Amino acid sequence: MSAERFVIIGNGPAGNEAAEILREKSPRSRVTIFGKESIRSYKPHLLPDVIAGKVDQENIFMKPDSYFREKDIQLRLGQRVKHVDFNKRQVLLEHREVVSFDGLIIATGGKPRIPEPLEVFEDVMLTLKTAFDAQLWVDRLSKTDSVLIIGGDLTSLSLTRALINLGKKVFFIVNAESFWPLPFNERLSTEIQARLCEKGVEVLNSRTVRRLTQLSDTSVEVETDCEKIRVGVVGAFFGLVPDVKFLVRSGLDIDRGILVDENLQTRFANVYAAGDCAQVYNPVIKDYWVSIGYENARTLGRIAALNMLGEMLSVKSSPESIFSLNGVKVNTSWWMEF
Amino acid sequence: MAKVDITVEVCGMAGDGTIAAGGMINEAMSLGGYYVLGFDSYPAEIRGFGRCVTHSRIGSEEISALQDKTHVLISLNDVQSRSRAPFLQENGMVFFDSNPASYVTEEESLAAVLKTGVKLYGMPFSDLATQAAGSPRGRNLSALGGFAAVCGIDPDLFRQVISNKFESKGPRVLDMNLKSFDAGHEYALENFSHRLVGLFKGLEVEKGEKKVMLSGNSAIGKGAVDAGLKLYFGYPITPATPIMEYLAKALPPRGGQVVQMEDEIASIGAVLGASYAGARSMTATSGPGFALMTELITHGVMAEIPAVILDAQRGGPSTGLPTKTEQSDLQAAVFGGPGDSARIVIAPTNVSECYKFTVKSFQLAERYQTPVIVLTDFFLDNRVENVHPPHSTEQELQRLSVTPDSSKQGDYKRYEDTPDGISPRALPGMKGFNFVATGLEHSQYGAPDYSPENHQKMSAKRHRKIESALRDLFKPEEFFDDSEVDLGVIGWGSTFGSVLEATQEARRKGLKVSALKITSIYPYHAREIRAFMNKCKMILIPELNFEGHLANLIGHLHNSDVFRLNLVTGSPIPPSVIVSEIERLISGGVK
Repeated sequence: MSAERFVIIGNGPAGNEAAEILREKSPRSRVTIFGKESIRSYKPHLLPDVIAGKVDQENIFMKPDSYFREKDIQLRLGQRVKHVDFNKRQVLLEHREVVSFDGLIIATGGKPRIPEPLEVFEDVMLTLKTAFDAQLWVDRLSKTDSVLIIGGDLTSLSLTRALINLGKKVFFIVNAESFWPLPFNERLSTEIQARLCEKGVEVLNSRTVRRLTQLSDTSVEVETDCEKIRVGVVGAFFGLVPDVKFLVRSGLDIDRGILVDENLQTRFANVYAAGDCAQVYNPVIKDYWVSIGYENARTLGRIAALNMLGEMLSVKSSPESIFSLNGVKVNTSWWMEF
Repeated sequence: MAKVDITVEVCGMAGDGTIAAGGMINEAMSLGGYYVLGFDSYPAEIRGFGRCVTHSRIGSEEISALQDKTHVLISLNDVQSRSRAPFLQENGMVFFDSNPASYVTEEESLAAVLKTGVKLYGMPFSDLATQAAGSPRGRNLSALGGFAAVCGIDPDLFRQVISNKFESKGPRVLDMNLKSFDAGHEYALENFSHRLVGLFKGLEVEKGEKKVMLSGNSAIGKGAVDAGLKLYFGYPITPATPIMEYLAKALPPRGGQVVQMEDEIASIGAVLGASYAGARSMTATSGPGFALMTELITHGVMAEIPAVILDAQRGGPSTGLPTKTEQSDLQAAVFGGPGDSARIVIAPTNVSECYKFTVKSFQLAERYQTPVIVLTDFFLDNRVENVHPPHSTEQELQRLSVTPDSSKQGDYKRYEDTPDGISPRALPGMKGFNFVATGLEHSQYGAPDYSPENHQKMSAKRHRKIESALRDLFKPEEFFDDSEVDLGVIGWGSTFGSVLEATQEARRKGLKVSALKITSIYPYHAREIRAFMNKCKMILIPELNFEGHLANLIGHLHNSDVFRLNLVTGSPIPPSVIVSEIERLISGGVK
């Protein structure tokens, strides 16, 4: 297609990759990225190193501001999309601005998942998805020496390593749901616990957190099914869920993420979804799968952009690489590395 | 402590409270111990719609000019503020209303035109004010609250300023405004807790005499009052009107009067009449009004009557750009009018000098019995600076009238041809003297005399008198005082502030440059100016006019052509533009 105005919602790897392709292949078009965070895209896997003080926050960014100016990609940061009107082909921003588009790529990624029983304690727990989260960790850790990690996803393991480097006392509750959408099996759980213990982490036998009470800025009381402890900070790490809540009433087909065909197109013409927020149809398994991971996101962003420009590329993922867990099909780029 | 040099702009539509908000920023930061230079630009229309912008440069060191890059933009109207987006620093900050009354298109949105790297702080200004005070009128104060919170400014400074401003309107109005401010402050602390930047933290307030915020026009008004002004005659015109407004309040309690005349011709006529009678009087106008006055100004020259005329320059010719700044009346001030009508023209460069030069103008007018024109400009008149309260010494306030002694009674030559051209002046009512005031060429006694010899002699006398005024005029001031200079930059009026900052910046870059300030426009100190020029390989004269008025006047003093930088953009020349020109000239980019 020869769309003049491309809008990308999401400033992560999928959105940035899509923008780069659109600019390269369609030099005369207008390309705009909306990012809800106030800073440009960064490498989230470096956040634990920021907390550990090994990497300066200034050095986590993927591209400098000048890149976007040189490429004439409009990067609108700190501007949250509130709704999309697909019939009028308009994006509505939280600050009450209407932006029309010819082509749209939704690449909003994921947000930290808090399992339902723990949602009530959401304000007491820290997560680690954004640079802002990292700053909160830095602030809190400056006032305390002990941390409880609940969960067990990859981020939590990286963070634990950082905390140990900082000399903090780390408690850990390994939760079976933590690797959503992958559940721990016994072998994996045992292996993780053993590795944590080797590093000096105190792995608690508890499996259920009953109550979290914020006693002060530097103290949280944790009541589990078998003990009660006090720590300075509690972190929750249960993987990510697609960040698509704002689209629920937009008319898009949404299950866990946005349902798209093998070309990443939604049910609306010239509207695509890519990255962690998409559930992609695979004609071989005749089902949708979710994509997780930095490299997957970039690949999907690239494919979405090329297809919007008229290609008809399908996402290449062999059925063997797709896990079926809890009824959800999952493709991860980092799973094998782990 | 790190040097602070921050420019804040508030932009909105007329009626948004833009100018009030900018004024409160200036006052608050001044209370906080910072140097402040503020300037407002607003539409030419008297009522109705139009863009208002306030510029506040706030620094930990003395400030002489506005910068062309903005660090913080507070938008009270996004459509209007879009025009300010190009002036934002790459990492600038924008405060805007995140919940306007209706949806806006991308073509109307401020957020849509910001460069990558600019940080957005969206706040529901109107909602915050309405929830806190029951009315959205305080939305500008909610915006200020957010600005104070994010930038790390003590909110009590703003609360103090708000109290000073609204106290007289009663406790309810004051309370509403304080609540609106506090609502914005609390909202920002809560919602931007991770994005507080603390731009202004940690400045020690200067001890000693408290500074006051003063505009150029107010300083002129105060100078006139302190100088013993008795009568002000004027006709309203931008940007001189605030002088009349100031005096209308300040003069009557001191026994003086402000009289609004039917036009500028009547104004200067009344000034000459009052001065003839011995009362200190003045008028203030702008280019178009000054043009109307010129014939009577030359009458003052010929009749040798003191008069103080303030010409607040604005964009011209004709009605021109009423609310924009320019320095294009210099030639009219020096040469305007029929005949060889030399008069004294002086031009202050900052707010303190506005006061000082106004006081001085009365002494000069009386001693040299001639019209004295004080040349200011829109930027100088309307800008505010926090300055030490201006005051004058007894010597500065002393009357320098030259009156005849009693021995002259009966044979009094009103226009006596003296060595310095100053003829003792008898005031009406002085026993034994005659009192003439004629526009005709006259003899030393004041009787009409058109003979060639007399006209030659009296013309020489009048010009000798003006030349002799040099002894009482402020000499050119050289900054840096180097013996060898690659490029000397000469400035006058409000542009000198930009010249000074530009040369300071060029010197930091290792360039051999110097600056000369000229405040006595006519007569001018040719010897001193030439001495400066001769030690400079090149001379640059930046001016806010198209024709290069000062360069035309003094350029001949240099041994080669002077370089000119003439801009008529309606805005002050940014120091960065002068720096670029300095670099271009020194690097050999001269065409």
